[in-house]
Amino acid sequence: MKIAVVGKGGSGKTSVSGVLARSFARSGHNVVGLDCDTNPNLGLSLGVGDLETERLLSLRDQIDEDEQKHAHTWDDILDAYGTDAPDGVRLTVVNRIDNPEPD
Amino acid sequence: MIRIAFAGKGGSGKSSVSGTFARLLARRDRPVLAVDSDPLPGMAYSLGIAVDDHPTPDDVVIEGPEGGPRWVLRPGLDAAGFIETYASSGPDHVQYLQFGNTWGHFQTLQRGQHAWSQVVREMDPAAWNVVGDLPGGTRQAMFGWAKYADVLALVVEPTAKSIHVARRLQNISKAEWAPSWVVVVANRVEEDSDVEQISEALERPVIGVVPNDAAVTEADKLALSPLDHRPGPFVDAVEQLVGVVEATYDLDIQTPTNGTP
Repeated sequence: MKIAVVGKGGSGKTSVSGVLARSFARSGHNVVGLDCDTNPNLGLSLGVGDLETERLLSLRDQIDEDEQKHAHTWDDILDAYGTDAPDGVRLTVVNRIDNPEPD
Repeated sequence: MIRIAFAGKGGSGKSSVSGTFARLLARRDRPVLAVDSDPLPGMAYSLGIAVDDHPTPDDVVIEGPEGGPRWVLRPGLDAAGFIETYASSGPDHVQYLQFGNTWGHFQTLQRGQHAWSQVVREMDPAAWNVVGDLPGGTRQAMFGWAKYADVLALVVEPTAKSIHVARRLQNISKAEWAPSWVVVVANRVEEDSDVEQISEALERPVIGVVPNDAAVTEADKLALSPLDHRPGPFVDAVEQLVGVVEATYDLDIQTPTNGTP
């Protein structure tokens, strides 16, 4: 199954998705947590912590700086750019906007 | 003239603070234009103005010139004329510029949004104090949608996620077009340690401390402005914030010559 959680800012999307992901994982499903927010926080509600959430995000910068290779398949992406969250959830992040646009 | 924009995580209280700020500023006999760049106009509620599904007719714009913006104001309609005709008038004489229409096809919605951008860019800076509300998160703010502001206020709750968003938004101060002053407003504060948590995590001065006030939640449920439903500690704190911002302008912020540095 594939579940997307949407709603107004602050309505609790991230908290609900984090708990859903871990609950499914606890009942034996293989779960990927996919954070599609340009301002990703799913790592915090899954419980991987502040530093690991930021580290995951900085992988994108490492590609830009040629320190990290591009992944070409879905599984490669999960391996290279994912992190293990509690209850066996694998978390990965789609995008982040980190710096202001030049004029 | 004061030009301030509010940004922060979704649900951090940007609309409640900015709408209340706009009205309290207007009560100080200042002409206030409230500008909401959120396609879902939450600021209207906190101003006490009914959300307008179709505030801008499609024909306010025509197709723009080759290589320029997709849509531009139609000939004969300038920023001042647009504000006079299409801004909504609210309590305390605040004029409210909604971010185009709330409903419709994406391409139709773009017309009103382009009109909004042009009006905010080209309006007479000597005519209005501007109070802006951005959508939640970092996207619009990072793309320069707060260029009209001298002061960018990050609304932050004492939660890990809210602080996280504010930390990212601080990067805006690196942009060439950055507002002169990027500051923090702590919202839904319950104890002193909440403010400490926020100020330790961020490198900006906390210029406003807004307490958690049950009356604001009630006002939200009733679709009322915090000013029109049991005004209490929240309103008092925003009133103080207005005073701080006014005083700061007197001290060290030059009124810009136009809205786009």
